[in-house]
Amino acid sequence: MFNSKITRRVFMKNSALAVVGTAVIPSFLTRAAYADLTEGGKKRMVVLFQRGAADGLNIVIPHGDPMYYQLRPTINIPQNAVIDLDGYFGLHPSMAAFKPLWDTKQLAIVHASGSPDETRSHFDAQDYMESGTPGVKSTDDGWLNRAMACEHSKDEKDSPFRAVALGTSLPRALSGTFPAVAVSNINDFGVGNARNPMAAGLSNSFESMYAGSVDTVLHGTGKETFDAVKMLKAADPSKYTPVNGANYPRGRFGDSLKQVAQLLKADLGVEVAFADIGGWDHHVNEGNTQGQIANITREFSQAIAAFWTDIGDLGTDTVLVTMSEFGRTAKENGTRGTDHGHANVMFVLGGPVKGGKVYGRWPGLDQRHLYEGRDLEVTTDFRTVLSEGLYNHMGNHELAKVFPGFDADPRKKFLNFVRT
Amino acid sequence: MQKLSRRKKLIATLALVAACGSIAVVAASKPKKAAIAQMDESKRALHALNRLTFGPRPGDVEKVTAMGVDKWIDLQLNPQKIDDSALQARLQNFRTLNMDARSLVQEFPPPQLIKAVADGRSRMPSDPAERAIYQARIDAYKQKQQKKAEAGDNNANIDDAGQNDANLTPEQRQQRSAQQEERMYAELDADALADKSPNDRFNAIVRMSPEDRRTMVQSMGQESRQKLMDGMSPEQREQLQAMANPQSVIINELVQGKLIRAIYSERQLEEVMTDFWFNHFNVYVQKNADRFLTTSYERDAIRPHVLGKFKDILMATATDPAMMVYLDNFQSIGPHSDAALGLNRNRPQRRQNRGFFGRTFGDNPRPQNNKQPDKQKQKRGLNENYARELMELQTLGVDGGYTQADVTEVAKVFTGWTVKQPQQGGNFQFDERLHEPGDKKVLGKKIKEGGMGEGKKVLDMLASSPATAHFISKKLAMRFVADDPPPSLVDSMATTFLKTDGDIKEVLRTMFHSQEFWAPEAYRAKVKTPLEFVVSAVRVTGTDVQNAQPLAQQLQKMGMPLYAMQPPTGYKMTADVWVNSAALLNRMNFGLALASGKMRGLGLDKESLLGPNTAAPPADADSAVAAVSRTLLDGDISQQTHDTIIKQLNDPQLNPRGVAMNDNPRLRDADLSVIAGLMLGSPEFQRR
Repeated sequence: MFNSKITRRVFMKNSALAVVGTAVIPSFLTRAAYADLTEGGKKRMVVLFQRGAADGLNIVIPHGDPMYYQLRPTINIPQNAVIDLDGYFGLHPSMAAFKPLWDTKQLAIVHASGSPDETRSHFDAQDYMESGTPGVKSTDDGWLNRAMACEHSKDEKDSPFRAVALGTSLPRALSGTFPAVAVSNINDFGVGNARNPMAAGLSNSFESMYAGSVDTVLHGTGKETFDAVKMLKAADPSKYTPVNGANYPRGRFGDSLKQVAQLLKADLGVEVAFADIGGWDHHVNEGNTQGQIANITREFSQAIAAFWTDIGDLGTDTVLVTMSEFGRTAKENGTRGTDHGHANVMFVLGGPVKGGKVYGRWPGLDQRHLYEGRDLEVTTDFRTVLSEGLYNHMGNHELAKVFPGFDADPRKKFLNFVRT
Repeated sequence: MQKLSRRKKLIATLALVAACGSIAVVAASKPKKAAIAQMDESKRALHALNRLTFGPRPGDVEKVTAMGVDKWIDLQLNPQKIDDSALQARLQNFRTLNMDARSLVQEFPPPQLIKAVADGRSRMPSDPAERAIYQARIDAYKQKQQKKAEAGDNNANIDDAGQNDANLTPEQRQQRSAQQEERMYAELDADALADKSPNDRFNAIVRMSPEDRRTMVQSMGQESRQKLMDGMSPEQREQLQAMANPQSVIINELVQGKLIRAIYSERQLEEVMTDFWFNHFNVYVQKNADRFLTTSYERDAIRPHVLGKFKDILMATATDPAMMVYLDNFQSIGPHSDAALGLNRNRPQRRQNRGFFGRTFGDNPRPQNNKQPDKQKQKRGLNENYARELMELQTLGVDGGYTQADVTEVAKVFTGWTVKQPQQGGNFQFDERLHEPGDKKVLGKKIKEGGMGEGKKVLDMLASSPATAHFISKKLAMRFVADDPPPSLVDSMATTFLKTDGDIKEVLRTMFHSQEFWAPEAYRAKVKTPLEFVVSAVRVTGTDVQNAQPLAQQLQKMGMPLYAMQPPTGYKMTADVWVNSAALLNRMNFGLALASGKMRGLGLDKESLLGPNTAAPPADADSAVAAVSRTLLDGDISQQTHDTIIKQLNDPQLNPRGVAMNDNPRLRDADLSVIAGLMLGSPEFQRR
């Protein structure tokens, strides 16, 4: 382990200087070349968004709650099919990949969690969850960006990859003053074809155009982009192929996580990474042990499990958290699906996580306990879960800046699923 | 916070630039006209072109200036007066664009139909070419079944099989070499075919057995497959493509058709508005029957109304099968409807479910015999999806003042708005048996029980609501003026909306003649979406598009695949979504690739980038850059971009010719590619 780190560092040093060539060497690169970015055991957080409102009740199934079976006559997961976790809750059978993570106490679950805002609009709810300010539309930036901005000064020497999102656009959660990079594919993240001898020159020209542009929006993004391009070239994360046993499922989500793993393994100084997976909006024929919900939970859990295997020891300093804009109706609808609901389930995975436990208060599925008479009630605000991750794991003590207008001291409500 | 300040700074900068550039012109005009007067006529023309079209082509600014900007705008608002025959000629190869959904299903059969024919539930078509498509697909279907069965037989080896020769059993090896031999003969067949006339070639292929055809096609590379189709009619090409993938023919033509229209239509505003309304009333082409319903949706429900009355486009989308499928309404059933309760009430009994052509999509919600209510069938009921998105995204807007109770009531109102046999490309129909009985209450108003009339009433109510007027006006202003449009503008547009019974043309007219539209801070204030970027680059370079598929692939890469936005929100049109590192790199790379003239299916005359008036080629880097920037940026090139390009051209290490341009000033294609590629990827070209 120690040896491989040395090699990597030496490689960084040599290749960084080789790639930069005639251009002025950016300070972050010299720092990357001469120092070890991960020195001091940098803490990392990986945030995953399930877009489209995942059906938390068919993901972590309250199989001990008889109401669950009454409310969902055709789309329930039968008790004998559920992967039981604690006698009351269990995983969807296609999420077997999560069981070992649960058994080794790295995986925790927070059920009946979500946003207190009543909206059932995908768009608004995603927006609120990513801005971190439910009910407030005027918030310009995202919670994850603020988390990076408040704790850290905007140090030019820092790696451009401290905040990174996988995908063709930067998610709301990461937009804001702190420089964040969107990468759709690490293999073609650059200007021109790598085999083209002209590529470096063209890249430099674009860089200089954007650096000198008075168009502030494009100027800022341009700088972040080219810093990242250079660093990525130097570190060449594509050579970190998945380790044995890390079997990523086919598809965009698996690809995203594979690339996050590559960025982590290449020592690029990633502190927060964001990826998302769509396709959870099952209004019709949701399925039960088979069908749409089974397929997507399989892809979801296998990708995360593969990622966890892939990053190996890096998991010690990593916490991964999942969320979705809202849950779905407790009762199945008229077309063997579910409509937009309220509370959902969040997964928290990581070395410092006190896993093997379902956290949060279970409100029950009795009619009188259902939110607006139809949906699972939110008993844990999603910001409480994220706050705990930020505070206890990332060491971010400025929670009031990350979640303005939230609890003055969210620590009082911490569920204590992360070790400090 | 930062974003806001960036934006403000930008606006301030732009205002300053525009103001400085036109001081002489402003002089002593009246206050109301002041903002307009700050742009001279050719700037106004460019601004109008940037907003009403997918970007100016070479010579457009001059044409619009000569006609007069206001007159040109008026013409664009009346597209029927504009001759568009050149576009029609370019579209004539895309036959599916004019076909109804039923014929699309028949000629380009989806997997369900293939299965039905394979299982003998549906008949094989008699036309030989169509029959060949069915046979090819049935062959593929059976192959797949066989593979599945084999995989089941030896599950343990499934991962290794076929990947590594070393792992093959002797039999497998033998089989493989037999296949290779077969391929070799098939190649000979292909060679023989190449000598035949296109028609004979087509007929020979159609007559081949599915197995022979499969082996032949597998043996051919992309290029020889293309060659095989040389000289064939569009219909013949489609049919050959359909043998490999029938559905892709429909989607491919839909996507190419959209790009070709955006690039070549003279009725540019109509295209921009078609894009706008399709995006507003988004459907997802990959969702079930929408694979073949989207073509007619855009053609019949969207396009005819893009400059008409809002209520008409709203009604047209609500009664289009593509929308009812996309937002699941076709399956929604009133909990107390006849169908849910299993009642017959003396209505003629429906046809029994027999095979493919008697089947609706998904499970059939209708009871098959009406003797007693079937417990399972009773479980079908309400689906809120359409009701919610109708109010949130299509009319009132999320803050339009409706509640969850309204969503549920509207869902009841629209029960029975369904599709007759969607899987066969069937039409919209109102089915009374699915409709929830009783009065409903929507937005505080009682909707008396009245079948389909209830829904019509609700659509009218929504279409004439002030919240809708405001929501639609704001969205239009965001497309045409600024990401954060001035409230005064939105208000005056909304006033026109309400005064004219939602006449979109009049709302646009109000906007185009507003002070805010022509304000200096609006000039080049919009960051292009990927679609706008790609199409504007193709238009401004005068690229000849023989095949728009490579452009569609670029859009996919940039995160904006056409007709393939899954959530009902459609694509956002504000800068925050489209300005990020991944996106910028993709744009730069596209600019370079397009300007290289080497993209498949796209012909670029590089000389033309120098503009029409260059008798002699530019004698140095400076004048070359100036000439190209006139063509691509209407001369609006920043000092920084200009200097960077010059530097690249004059550095022997960076110039593709290996020599500084000023030392060997004869302009070459390679220089032009560099100049144009850098310019298309420059910050200036990202805005419109």
